[in-house]
Amino acid sequence: MKLFYSTSTKVQYITKGLELSKSLFVSSLIIGEAHIGKKSLIKSIFPEIPWVDGSDIIKLKQTLNKHDELIISNFELYGDYSIGDFKGKRIIAISDSTSFPSHIDSLFAFIYTMPSLKERPEDVEYLADIFTKEARSIFMTKDISPLDLAKIDLADNTKSLKKAIFEHQAYNTITPNKIERILYNYFEKELGGNNDYAKYLPIFEHPLIMAGLDKFGSQLKLSSILGINRNTLRKKVYELGIN
Amino acid sequence: MNLESIDFKLFIETDNNPFILFESSGHIIYLNNAAEMLLCYVGTKELYDLTLTYAPKTFGHKSTIHSLEYESFSFYSLMVGYETDEQIYLRLYNKPLVQTKISISNESLIATDINTILEANITLFQLESNAAISLFVDQELPAFKLDQNYFSIMLRKAFNSFINSPTLDVVLKLIVGEYILIDDKKHQMIELILKAPKRRVDHDDEISQLANQTHIASSLKPEIIKFQIPLIL
Repeated sequence: MKLFYSTSTKVQYITKGLELSKSLFVSSLIIGEAHIGKKSLIKSIFPEIPWVDGSDIIKLKQTLNKHDELIISNFELYGDYSIGDFKGKRIIAISDSTSFPSHIDSLFAFIYTMPSLKERPEDVEYLADIFTKEARSIFMTKDISPLDLAKIDLADNTKSLKKAIFEHQAYNTITPNKIERILYNYFEKELGGNNDYAKYLPIFEHPLIMAGLDKFGSQLKLSSILGINRNTLRKKVYELGIN
Repeated sequence: MNLESIDFKLFIETDNNPFILFESSGHIIYLNNAAEMLLCYVGTKELYDLTLTYAPKTFGHKSTIHSLEYESFSFYSLMVGYETDEQIYLRLYNKPLVQTKISISNESLIATDINTILEANITLFQLESNAAISLFVDQELPAFKLDQNYFSIMLRKAFNSFINSPTLDVVLKLIVGEYILIDDKKHQMIELILKAPKRRVDHDDEISQLANQTHIASSLKPEIIKFQIPLIL
């Protein structure tokens, strides 16, 4: 697997710019939301340059003294921005934040803003394929239908995507025994009130009725499937707040 | 040496000073690259009228010291000449942008392929702009010494001023016939021109300041930015 891959035009421009800057002794800053591949991209282009975390000021200062070329991750956490520190050095800084003091602009030859995963739908499909293969390998599954990518909330970019795909694989491989085990662990931890039967019953009823309504479309049909009176089902739907 | 075998036209073609040859009706028979750029801003008739105004009274060539300003072009002198009744030429001489004598510290200067820096900056520019870019660059320019970080910051800001423009013309060429003295040593110069129908001018002071720091002469006008960069080998 490649260390970094993107079919997004914008990311390809950033990659090209960074590749070109390899032959120059210039400093670059790459900014953008967390979990969008900034670090992977930098690692793939500058594999030889040492890294230091911007949150560790002491180590950062020491490393700056030792090396002429340096990658600083979490650059937004390094508050002591001084032109003198970077003079005569090639710094590649990575930041999840886009707000900096104005003089930061004059420290870096190139400042790239990497688009979030939401802005790169072409990359979502590629990454989803990688994560699905990984999840299938871990859960030892083969035939589970793929997740509808359009429904995934990508608020945390690749982290959200990976989580959604792994959860989808996990949920679809679960057996009644595993569900019982999960519920057992949960109830063992939570039980302890005076009305817990009524309190925890929706945990069973809510997914049962929701899935049934999604699958069969009507309360009339579902009541027949579940073998309960349709008035009872209607009452449950109301009590559980299902639309 | 057999001078007849030398193609003198090439020298005129690439000369940074505009050269135009008119026929007696005022139509242009020939113009060099610099004149082609100039004609984007000045009409043929205006230049022909200028030619007639400063033409010598009889066959021959006449130089006149005269200040002329056309958009981003500044000239300090012109020469008009004719040897037949059919053709007359106009040659305009650029006002030098660069100080004639400067001193420079070599500490932060690194041998650089200017085309690589330019391409990296164009790539960055394309991330935010949809401008149609027309490139006219000399790929054969030798690597020369400059402060890569400052130069690139200056270029980034210069390009950024064209971010909302629908087009951008980029010209990079060696200036023929002009030199700059740095520490008593003669250096050729490279000219970088960025031109578009409109641009932001709010960071012009900063761009000029960065140019000064890197010993580059700059001219910033509402539609065009010119840098003259010393070619320090």
